[in-house]
Amino acid sequence: MEPLMESFTTELRRGTLTLAVLSQLRTPQYGYSLVQRLEKAGVTIEQSTLYPLLRRLEKQELLTSNWDTTESRPRKYYVISEYGSDIYEQLKKEWETMTAELKTLLEGDENDETD
Amino acid sequence: MKLIEAYIYEVTRRLPEKLREDIALELRSTIEDMLPEHFSEDEVKEALLKLGDPARLAASYRDTPMHVIGPKVYDAYIWTMKMIVPWAILITILVHVVETIVLFSGEESILSVVIKSIGIIIANIIHVLIQTFFWVTIVFIFIERIGLAKSNGAITKYGTEWTPEQLKHVHVISKKKLIPRSEVIFGLAWTAIWIVLYFNADRLAGVYRSINGDGLQMVMPALNQSVLLSYLPIVLPIALLEIGLALFKWKERQWTMKLVTINAVMKVVSLIVFIVIASNPALINEAMIPYLANVLEINSSSVQNFTDWAVWTIIATIIVTVAIEIYDSYRKAKA
Repeated sequence: MEPLMESFTTELRRGTLTLAVLSQLRTPQYGYSLVQRLEKAGVTIEQSTLYPLLRRLEKQELLTSNWDTTESRPRKYYVISEYGSDIYEQLKKEWETMTAELKTLLEGDENDETD
Repeated sequence: MKLIEAYIYEVTRRLPEKLREDIALELRSTIEDMLPEHFSEDEVKEALLKLGDPARLAASYRDTPMHVIGPKVYDAYIWTMKMIVPWAILITILVHVVETIVLFSGEESILSVVIKSIGIIIANIIHVLIQTFFWVTIVFIFIERIGLAKSNGAITKYGTEWTPEQLKHVHVISKKKLIPRSEVIFGLAWTAIWIVLYFNADRLAGVYRSINGDGLQMVMPALNQSVLLSYLPIVLPIALLEIGLALFKWKERQWTMKLVTINAVMKVVSLIVFIVIASNPALINEAMIPYLANVLEINSSSVQNFTDWAVWTIIATIIVTVAIEIYDSYRKAKA
């Protein structure tokens, strides 16, 4: 992809990351399992972006975390908090309105061309 | 395994102490999650490549900004620099010029003093600029990191966030009327230099001769310092008024009719005072005329004629220059 296009795409995707991550954390997930879930859904996210993002969301009290040391390898599980769920619902609504608005705009554009 | 440890070390050493252990543990388990049970070095490399440059990863864990002067304070920072730098340069030049003139003993030739001074001034300016740059930057780093942690808006040169109120302080200045900052600064520098010359005329202006091939040395002052100093009650107020006028120009930044008038009056008054002082026959050191007549092997009256002629040529030149300057400022104010 040419660099300009890449920077636009990254910018476009950046805002949706929080939403994507919050959506997957209704059940506890550790870092790598979250990466796999997102990738399976087709959402690519740099791991170097994801782990710091998880910590930031935890600091902002949208997530809670705890260490599971019962398995062979200790893993840090993240899960959405009550406050996080509230924010998630609001964000989701924002996203839906926004996509609907944008869709109107973009379809309008197509109609103009076919006219 | 060694690579993984090195990677974790490279990330955590850049992080605050209290975060290190937790992030190290999480990173290790994540990297191991990414690898199959029995992994080769190449597979480790591949996994680490996915995580990217440890410095960047560490930076995204940190909350502190990754820049020294951020966009929030950049404007105020540049503005401060622009305000301070010309003054720093001016003061550096003045301090050195005044110091050199006051300490001038006449033992060294003027040319070598001038050349040496230029070298010293350039070195001092570089030094002062580095100092200025350093301290202003330090202050702004503090503002960036401490002062602005909570505020979202950018800081303007007024030290607050932008409001339309600030537009009331904006003077829209047409380029034709503009008084360049450099003009004001040179004006101030000129005032400072002539004041110093005035107080040190007997040690600077005079007949210079090369003695024993030792460079030029002053053998005879041209002016009578006590006569010159007797005009101090007029000269000093003029100097102060000139400085005041320069500061007023700095503040106004453009030629207005009011400024043109004040400027013209100032110029004419100084000119008259200059003519009065210069035409005082007692001003010229009386010992100089017979001395010159002797050296040049002509009679004293020719020397007298020559000095008179020189004085009036200087006065005429100054009158013309002042007239042009006043007309020019008038033209700019009308533009």
